[in-house]
Amino acid sequence: REKAAQRTMAVSQPRVEKDSEDCSLLPLVHDVIKCMDKDKDGQDVHQELMKLKTKIQKAREQISNMPGIDSSPQEQQHQLATLREQVRTKNQLLQKYKSLCMFDVPKAS
Amino acid sequence: MAALAEKSTKERLLSVLDDLEVLSRELIEMLALSRSQKLPQPGEDTQILELLVQRDKEFQELMEVAQQQGKVHQEMQLLEKEVEKRDSDIQQLQKQLKEAEHILATAVYQAKEKLKSIEKARKGSISSEEIIKYAHRISASNAVCAPLNWVPGDPRRPYPTDLEMRSGMLGHMANLSSNGMNGHLPGDALAAGRLPVLTKYPHFIFFLCCITISTLFFFFFYNVSAADVSAYLSQ
Repeated sequence: REKAAQRTMAVSQPRVEKDSEDCSLLPLVHDVIKCMDKDKDGQDVHQELMKLKTKIQKAREQISNMPGIDSSPQEQQHQLATLREQVRTKNQLLQKYKSLCMFDVPKAS
Repeated sequence: MAALAEKSTKERLLSVLDDLEVLSRELIEMLALSRSQKLPQPGEDTQILELLVQRDKEFQELMEVAQQQGKVHQEMQLLEKEVEKRDSDIQQLQKQLKEAEHILATAVYQAKEKLKSIEKARKGSISSEEIIKYAHRISASNAVCAPLNWVPGDPRRPYPTDLEMRSGMLGHMANLSSNGMNGHLPGDALAAGRLPVLTKYPHFIFFLCCITISTLFFFFFYNVSAADVSAYLSQ
């Protein structure tokens, strides 16, 4: 069963390794299983488990600090469109005021 | 699905991460148990493994979405700054327009007041000759400026003197009842004691008349005789 698990992990690894930021947890789980297979007393296993735990914790912190993910992508797109519209409207308004002729000059009779 | 769609990317990421943690723990525990001869149900470890791989794939996709959202967020921040700048420009323009409106309103008001004054002056216009004539009359009495040939000792003053007052209409009205006064100044008649007492001491005469009238009133209404009065006074 352990070998089957390792094989499954190995298949999914190459795709993960393409990313420069390796956010996949599978390699660490694979390392834990490999250690369990090799090391009977459990010291290395414990070490690998700590690495996995640390990575999960770091991922949680990273997610908490990431900007712009407090809304769904659709909501964010909607907000972006609203902001763009605001900028366009305000630009138009400013242009209108600057080019507005305030005084009606009467024609000379 | 609608509820899922409204969930933020952060919530979804944290949820998937929790799932990953649970699944990896279960898998490791299952493999550890299988070594200690307690065999789990067949296929269960494969199922967990498949779920783990699926969740990991989902996690990676969500992380890519989160990175894209981060870039969009940066663009939104730039747009927000631009919006703030535009707001500030609009407020500045509004302030300047308000100021210009105030200045123009003041100028228009003052111009209207000027026009009213001009119209009023035009309606009540006086010819320059009349004004000059009036000016001559005012300045004839030397009230505005001393005469060119005035020297200290000159009896002329910028105000009417005693002699001028007495030689005016009021002074003549006072001299009507006097005899032999033609051509003579009232002051001479006063000095010679020929003026009647009435004109000399008018206040005293008025007081005397009041006393006489009040005494007559007293005698008439209270039937008091002269003997009664002398008896009262001798007490």
